[in-house]
Amino acid sequence: MSTLDATQERRTDHESPASSAGASSPWLVKAQNLTVRYGRKLALDDVSFTLPPGRVVGLLGHNGAGKTTLMRALVGLARPQGQLSVLGRHPVAERVALLTEACYIADVATLPRWARVSELITLMQGLHPRFSAERARALLRRTSVSPGDKVKALSKGMVAQVHLALVASIDARLMILDEPTLGLDVLSRKSFYEMLIDEWCDGQRTVLISTHQVEEIENLLSDVLMLNEGRLVLQASLEDVDRRFVALSHDADAAARIAAAHPLLRYRVQGGSAALFDGPPPDDVLALGRRVRPSLVDLFVALTRTPEMNRTQFDEVTR
Amino acid sequence: MQDWHDRQPIYQQLADRLAAQLLDGDPPEGQAMPSVRTLASQYLLNPLTVNRALQALGDEGLLESRRGLGLYVTPGARERLRRSERQRFLQDEWPVLRARLRRLGLGPAQLEWEDAK
Repeated sequence: MSTLDATQERRTDHESPASSAGASSPWLVKAQNLTVRYGRKLALDDVSFTLPPGRVVGLLGHNGAGKTTLMRALVGLARPQGQLSVLGRHPVAERVALLTEACYIADVATLPRWARVSELITLMQGLHPRFSAERARALLRRTSVSPGDKVKALSKGMVAQVHLALVASIDARLMILDEPTLGLDVLSRKSFYEMLIDEWCDGQRTVLISTHQVEEIENLLSDVLMLNEGRLVLQASLEDVDRRFVALSHDADAAARIAAAHPLLRYRVQGGSAALFDGPPPDDVLALGRRVRPSLVDLFVALTRTPEMNRTQFDEVTR
Repeated sequence: MQDWHDRQPIYQQLADRLAAQLLDGDPPEGQAMPSVRTLASQYLLNPLTVNRALQALGDEGLLESRRGLGLYVTPGARERLRRSERQRFLQDEWPVLRARLRRLGLGPAQLEWEDAK
């Protein structure tokens, strides 16, 4: 694809969002039966999911659950078995074309230590047809980084900010961010979340983001993917999560009867105990407590802490 | 980073906050609601969550959609809200408050109705 084509496409994106992105397919990503093996270990185990446009998708998993492998596969850096289409392309065979419309921040992202920030902007401008140097400079003006700073003189958090600014200045349809807030202080994280909502949630672009700061990002998400030991244990919109999972906060004297109803998880909440159910429990059990909103963290713990049980129980869900 | 509680879904909490503002005349009847993007940015919520909250207010007849212009506060929305809030207070909050007043031994004679200055 030539630079000219890219510019024209971008223009139509902005003028008529409804008629652009994915006219041929309703999905930005379609993954079927992805499996990645590292030696004897299964990093991804038969993972299938789709990502439509206009979503902010949280990718949650413990360390080693396969989050990074999945993200690398999406940008052609890991070769899974199975079928994978990203923006209608094969991520390995059409990687260069794919990267004009998708961007990726790796969790181990590094920038050349000898370079100045201004040089990185010039470099990106030469490399990427959809990169806006103006936007990168504008984003960096909100931080404490100056264009003349050398990367080696910056703190870890400042490097993360430079990285985010560079990637956020690419007009991409799919953004894949592996732990983008790692090393950022609370103010920088907040300005990242603001950018996510203000600029990236345009109804077209989809952001896939992995993070351990689940509580902070929960309300920014539209969907969640949960990985456990390489397997997808949940793909759901947060609206579905609200509807499907029921948490009951209850007094200690109801504990035995709640436990008898086989909740997914029992946990502590402020001032007492709570139990999480997949689907509403019978009315007599519901009457034992007060319905509360389960947090993504509680749900995540429930779906990932007893893997053997989850495998059988959640195969049904992710199919 | 907002203080949402765990007793209701977020969209419902946002709908309640927006309803409380409508009751105070913000925005006034007949005026436009802020856009989904504005609210998403202000509350740091996913726009789909904001949509659900606005949808809920629309279902209660508090907002109406004007083609091509967005959502507007329905004429009569404040009166409708006041009525439902009164009913909710009398049904849900008053019994709790009354029980507390009784525990404390407070009756009408001890309650000051004029604003203290």
